[in-house]
Amino acid sequence: MAAVRELCKSLVQPILAVMIGLLTGAVVIAAVGESVVGTYQEMWKGAFGSFYFFTSTMARATPIMLIALGLALAFRAGVFNMGAEGQMVLGAISATLVAIYLPAPGIVKMLVGIIVGITVGGLWSLLAGYMEAKFRIPLLISTLLFNYIAVLFASYLVSDPFQDRTGSAALAQTVMLDKSAWLPKLFAGMSVHAGFFFAIAAALLLFWVIRFTPFGYEVKMLGQNPLFARYGGINQIKVMLTGMFASGGLAGLAGTVEVLGSHYRFVDGALTVPNFAWTGMMATLLANSNPIGIIFTSILLAAFQTGAMGVERNTEVPLEVASVIQAVLILFISAKFSYDWWKKRKVKGGESHGAA
Amino acid sequence: MELLDLSLISSTIRMVTPILLAALGGALCTRVGIFNVGLEGLVLVGAFSAIVGNHFTGSLFLAILFAALICVLFSLLFAYMTIGLKANEIVVGVAINFLALGLTTFALRAIFGVKGAFYDKEMAGLPKLDIPVIKDIPVLGDIFSGHSPLVYLAFIAAILLYLFFYRTVTGFRVLAVGMNPVAARSLGLKVTGLQVLAITMCGVLCGLAGAQLSLGQVTMFTEGMTAGRGFIALVAMMMGQSHPLGILASSFLFGLMDAISIRLQGFSLPTQFTSMLPYLLTIVAMFFVKEKNRAGGNQQSSR
Repeated sequence: MAAVRELCKSLVQPILAVMIGLLTGAVVIAAVGESVVGTYQEMWKGAFGSFYFFTSTMARATPIMLIALGLALAFRAGVFNMGAEGQMVLGAISATLVAIYLPAPGIVKMLVGIIVGITVGGLWSLLAGYMEAKFRIPLLISTLLFNYIAVLFASYLVSDPFQDRTGSAALAQTVMLDKSAWLPKLFAGMSVHAGFFFAIAAALLLFWVIRFTPFGYEVKMLGQNPLFARYGGINQIKVMLTGMFASGGLAGLAGTVEVLGSHYRFVDGALTVPNFAWTGMMATLLANSNPIGIIFTSILLAAFQTGAMGVERNTEVPLEVASVIQAVLILFISAKFSYDWWKKRKVKGGESHGAA
Repeated sequence: MELLDLSLISSTIRMVTPILLAALGGALCTRVGIFNVGLEGLVLVGAFSAIVGNHFTGSLFLAILFAALICVLFSLLFAYMTIGLKANEIVVGVAINFLALGLTTFALRAIFGVKGAFYDKEMAGLPKLDIPVIKDIPVLGDIFSGHSPLVYLAFIAAILLYLFFYRTVTGFRVLAVGMNPVAARSLGLKVTGLQVLAITMCGVLCGLAGAQLSLGQVTMFTEGMTAGRGFIALVAMMMGQSHPLGILASSFLFGLMDAISIRLQGFSLPTQFTSMLPYLLTIVAMFFVKEKNRAGGNQQSSR
């Protein structure tokens, strides 16, 4: 019974935030003189209206989910990893190059590509973590800076040494991957690919790690009370670095499956323009860093985006209605964050036994 | 084409302005202990509302005023969420960026009925201001004269902010709030009031930065036209250690890199590396200079 009440209580805030977001969206839609109900119907159709749109939403949710999971782990350890974008792009470009140039059968190319993508994303993130641990350079700043370096470097690679020069137009992109190295689609003709399973598996794995392993406990303790964690003999730096590596690795995986599963080549800007990294951060915040919750919030945010595309196709309302709804949603979610924290503190002051 | 000549410096000064203004705004926030990631969004809102103001009033002065006003409203939202509701400032900043991108694109459609970009050839940009004596001096005249008023304002703002921080009582109080809010409060300082004041000023500065972007450089608005300049301003602010003169120097570095990377497109050098340079430099710089009061507090504030 207590568990059910706890679950309901944790759901109230996100649902309230979604409602406020949708209401704000309604105001904005009304402001351009369109029918609110009609627009939301189009949005629903665009996201879940047919099996094709449904799978598109799942495909879009895949990288968002992977990035969100990585960030969740970092947040839980109390570190703000703002570098998901760079980690994703660097992972993706490395995986792409490996998958193109590795002289091996397709399946090996694919698997090695995925491993390399995870490793490179993780190492890039680890570097920022190492700089924090060793030189006290704030992660918040270094990860933000690393984004630019990674994105620009990848952009250089595909616009000069590894550019596709076979076509007539000199686009900044690599050559197409060999068909045998593609991640399989889950349904013929639909855009959702095997990466979606990776994302779900990662969510379950992360849930298990956080819930049932000593490492998960250490992460939680470090995030909730660093002083107590240190007192309890937890190697803070080791946990932080592991968390950074895992979170960067998941971001790298997100970029990798996006390339291997849907673009089949690294196109400059294809990963940064859809704002996967920031959307992933929103999904994490919305789910309060809960891995299972992230599955749903990622799909929700992806649905807003694919839905908005449907809205733009069929009505006069621009695509950006999704950004407005998402932004308002996050504003209200974040307000809740600290409110809870504040409440907990008051309780702690009043009585000695914890509520949880 | 020459790589280094006088027009390079002149275009650097133009490029620097929006970054400098926004970075000064960010510094104000940082100095009261609030890390404002929402600069990008605020500048974008400023750029858009400057165009809107110009379109409906036909007066450049009112347009700039309008841009500043709308940005102040946005930053008050930021202040309310972070100080009033005690939300995480980074989360709110990220949300503000999204909101700004969404709302400006949306309003572009709603107000002007266009998509992508709004351009009106009737619309006047900011005038070029010639400084009486300096414009006649051969070299200096080419560099320093003939910029929009906001360019000069930006440099004046940097100096004023320096005087404000280190020569006025309110400035000292602002610094005290950033260093230790609890101690500041126990001294009887109105911490919340000072924080809101700083955030409001940041809004004004970001509004000016946006106006320079949309009226001073191109006289048009395009979707997401800030293109990461707000984040660059954030980096310039960090590199300048939130010190107005430090920010002046670091913004110059970014502006110069910007101008050089545009110039390099004429050569067959990859521009990505020149664009990358400021970020690399910032990281290197961070090895040597460390903010003492941030190092400990950072991990705490990241929750």
